[in-house]
Amino acid sequence: MKVSMNLLKQYAPIPVSPAEYEERMIMTGTGVEGIEDLSQQLENVVVGKVLTCVPHENSDHLHVCTVDVGQAEPLQIVCGAPNVAAGQLVAVAMIGAKLPSGTIKKSKMRGVDSYGMLCSGPEMGVPVELYPSVGDEGILVFREDHPLGTDVREIFGLNDHVIDYEILANRPDTLCVWGVARETAAAMGTALKLPEVTVREDASASIHDFAKVEVQDSDLCPRYAARVIKNVRIGESPAWLRQALYAAGMRSINNIVDITNFVMMETGHPMHAFDLDKVAGKHIIVRRAKPDEILKTLDGKEHVLKGGELLICDENGPTGLAGVMGGEESEITEGTHTVLFEAAAFDRTSIRLTARSLGFRTEASGHFERGVSPQTVLDGLNRAAQLVNELDAGDVVSGVIDLYPEPIVNKPITASIERINRLSGVELSGEQMVKILKKLCFEAKAEGDTLTATAPCFRQDVEGEADLCEEVLRYAGYDLIPSTPLKGAADGKRSTTMLQNDLMRKLLSGMGYYETMTFSFIAHKKLEQLGLSEDDDRMNALALRNPLGEDSAYMRTTLLCGVMTTAQLNQAHGNDHARIYELGKVFDNVHRTAEDLPSEYNSLCLCAYGAGEDFYSLRGSVEVLLRQTGVSYTIVPASETWLHPGRAAAIKAGDETIAVLGEIHPEVAEAYELTGRVYIAEINLPKMFAAAHSMGYVSSLARFPAVSRDLALVVAEAQPVGPMMEAMREAGGKLLEDISMFDIFRGPQVGLDRKSVAFSLRLRAEDHTLTDDEIVRVMNKVLKTVSEKFGAEIRA
Amino acid sequence: MSIRDELNRLDEEMEKSLGDLENLNALEALRVHMLGKKGQLTALLRMMGQLSAEERPQIGQLINERRERFTKLLDERQKAMQKKERELRLQRERLDVTEPRPLPETGSVHPNTLVLNEVVDCFTGLGFEVVEGPEVELDHFNFELLNIPKNHPARDAQDTFYIDDNVVLRTHTSPVQARTMTTRKPPIRIICPGRVYRADEVDATHSPVFHQIEGLVIDEGVSMGDLKATLAAFARRLYGSDIQVRFRPSFFPFTEPCGPDLRQLPRQGLPHLQGHRLDRGAGLRHGQPARARNVRHRPAQVFRLRVRHRPGAHHDAALRHQGYAPDVRRRPALPAAIPRGRQGGLKE
Repeated sequence: MKVSMNLLKQYAPIPVSPAEYEERMIMTGTGVEGIEDLSQQLENVVVGKVLTCVPHENSDHLHVCTVDVGQAEPLQIVCGAPNVAAGQLVAVAMIGAKLPSGTIKKSKMRGVDSYGMLCSGPEMGVPVELYPSVGDEGILVFREDHPLGTDVREIFGLNDHVIDYEILANRPDTLCVWGVARETAAAMGTALKLPEVTVREDASASIHDFAKVEVQDSDLCPRYAARVIKNVRIGESPAWLRQALYAAGMRSINNIVDITNFVMMETGHPMHAFDLDKVAGKHIIVRRAKPDEILKTLDGKEHVLKGGELLICDENGPTGLAGVMGGEESEITEGTHTVLFEAAAFDRTSIRLTARSLGFRTEASGHFERGVSPQTVLDGLNRAAQLVNELDAGDVVSGVIDLYPEPIVNKPITASIERINRLSGVELSGEQMVKILKKLCFEAKAEGDTLTATAPCFRQDVEGEADLCEEVLRYAGYDLIPSTPLKGAADGKRSTTMLQNDLMRKLLSGMGYYETMTFSFIAHKKLEQLGLSEDDDRMNALALRNPLGEDSAYMRTTLLCGVMTTAQLNQAHGNDHARIYELGKVFDNVHRTAEDLPSEYNSLCLCAYGAGEDFYSLRGSVEVLLRQTGVSYTIVPASETWLHPGRAAAIKAGDETIAVLGEIHPEVAEAYELTGRVYIAEINLPKMFAAAHSMGYVSSLARFPAVSRDLALVVAEAQPVGPMMEAMREAGGKLLEDISMFDIFRGPQVGLDRKSVAFSLRLRAEDHTLTDDEIVRVMNKVLKTVSEKFGAEIRA
Repeated sequence: MSIRDELNRLDEEMEKSLGDLENLNALEALRVHMLGKKGQLTALLRMMGQLSAEERPQIGQLINERRERFTKLLDERQKAMQKKERELRLQRERLDVTEPRPLPETGSVHPNTLVLNEVVDCFTGLGFEVVEGPEVELDHFNFELLNIPKNHPARDAQDTFYIDDNVVLRTHTSPVQARTMTTRKPPIRIICPGRVYRADEVDATHSPVFHQIEGLVIDEGVSMGDLKATLAAFARRLYGSDIQVRFRPSFFPFTEPCGPDLRQLPRQGLPHLQGHRLDRGAGLRHGQPARARNVRHRPAQVFRLRVRHRPGAHHDAALRHQGYAPDVRRRPALPAAIPRGRQGGLKE
């Protein structure tokens, strides 16, 4: 909310600099987003009188003027405006003057020296709100008398600061000038000087002869008050009013409308002005809308209502949405003679829902949504009537219509002084608390440990001890709170999941992988592009009801899409090699939790492409993770729609598949606009860690020598090596300490469609040196197994 | 020629040969020539038979002397030659240690992870335990228990992503607190980091997905003073000991007294921290018995900090290769600049 500092100062003196004011307000709980110095846009521009004005000898449009700016000598100024004439009072930018467009220098125009510039409104950055007819025809000509040499900022009200307040949701009472004035006076320790509201009524007429109001749904309209103004004299608002509105960012319309806007700004009560002659039956009815009722609003649009919205109606039907927008029919115009001012309190939730469902957000609805106190409705209404008196904008008819069936009274709250101190950590006496609360317009007293306080009528947010504690604390000062480090030992630790994730990240960093992070959202199209079947769990992703767009309409069921998209982005940026991963939550919408929420678990997706990357390098990376976490696993061929059918593997721990990896299927790669061979793996981390040994183990140093034997076996090309090694390991039993493959040879020597696989076997016994017999026995057993199971022959 | 003459000749030959030696092979040849089984000294020993019994021991001694001396000479010479040869080899093997070579590829964690780790380390050091919770959350935990009933304006301001009427993407990490309070007994000292969601389009300071961390302490006798000290310690850890912090009042629907809003002064564009006490009786006051039943009414305090998910974070790897951020590892483990989020009570 923006407020003119000059206006505010009329109600609460501010004896400090704007910067200090901002600091003090923030520290007492009234947020200030910033303070703008309006005077900075215009400097050294003064009122001058054009003494003489003759055409320039060398120009058909320039004039040479002498201008008296209150100095000893008049200035010679060349002016190009068509409306310049001797005798005018004008705004003179002196040499060195600062205008929004720049600084004025002495110049020579077609041979004639010019010591300044005569300004138009736009040249000074002064809009019509601040001064009417600011320069439609050329320079701005003052319509009233001002002493020569007067700083024009005083005339335009630019010697001012605009304070931008951040209004907290629990303090709707501060959403007005009076509200911030109260806080200002309390924070500054100065006296609050709100205007005394008195209304001069025309006793010759009673409001009841002019209008009738009926509230049918008082649950949504706890209070409705009205006054009538007759003999309305629509006109321009005075400068102070226009300037106050301008500072608040509102436009000046005419005196009656400006009064309603000003009162809203000043008192926080949205006002509405009806042209009473256009209200059918001069009868205002406040009621809920019926289903499918049609309303035409001020902006000329027709709306079909759902029913239940609070309407302002006359005898012909709805004319406006209560608290949101008035009707076109009863709008104030040049020809308005009789005005009805409405000030009311409406249910905040009802207003908010109505405004939202119809897509309106008006200044008034903003106030009502935050909460307008029914208790202070008459303050707003009478202030408006008072301004009508002051501006002589009409005659206020005697009497007020005030429908307020259930008046609200703030009840006293009792609190424990000791408890407040204990909660806040400060030491304040009951007297100090009472003093602070009184500054904030509370009625308060302290007796023993009991603090009793009644909130002022404009405060609806104070409900209990904690609120009193807050009020006391923010004015006592948060600086008073002592800094006391937490006492007692506590077992600070990361969660198991977090530790597991940390380990994964460390290992991956060491292996050259870069972590990426993508949004948790996913486009369903991206899932479809993986070629998953309709009944795949991953296709059944959780849908958002109100997504930002199609690309983010679902919660991801896999990290594949995000990581592949990232890989594509890298390729598009010219990265010819990358190792990337993402570790994050995925949302399994099929296996739901006891609370019927999707199962969330951490998934890890690795991706690599470019020189040096192949299926085995990626699988190696995955295997390092498995070995470092102590998982016993087997690798088996897998079939996934998004993987190359011949280059896809699943990692199994027991029967559980904990990871799937391989080369991305060319069709899927094409859909994701990936080029070249791209390798990808996705690991289900909870399953992986379930199969992990939480602790590593150590074995003692071997005491007896090992024996190495190499074995080259010729098998069919299609025979996978993994199962062979498994079988050999099993056959070798305890004495076969380790087996590894060191070469594969293909060539005419071993025959067509056959390969020679060379293994190295290390044999050792724990408790003795192996004998030749033992070695031969093991080797024969191994050989027998592979030849029987896999048709392997020893390479000749 | 007498054996004695022969011995003298051998002495001369030895001296000359040693002087002429060119390499270790020649030295070895000389050793064999002089001391080997078929060498000169052995040959002389064989001639001993011709000598008289008196001469034999004398000559034998002379021969043995030679054997010892020659061996010593050869050994010394061998060592010297080996040393020289090694020195020569080392000379030859000199490398240009300044010559640039490609490094083994190492990766790095996302900057977001770096910051998160820093934050978590700080709090675990202060005795806080990390607790996590679901991101797809029940409205009950995300709003209701936090004093934000249906139709509360805070729900608008937070621009919530809804799954259905009862399920939302959590808009803050606070539901984890609510869950913890319903299941654990005090004392509680936890932090809850994680992703949170708001329906904001991505721009320089907004993102529909970002990270938040908040803390909760429930214990006898904790006060706002504990909150202040903890937040200040945290701010110093994250931004350096020279940081200035101030506490200011603010408002959150689920805390009372108003939360102090701690933000650091000198540098703009960093996340701001907020801390508050939980409202002891909020549930009762607002006529929500559910909350009153579920949440222990104990003095409690809550810390919150927002760390934003940097929009476009997935470009990181791309940038690395383009040379903009060739080495994330070399960045300080602190956020260089994380845009400060929207301010305002409800928007939090």
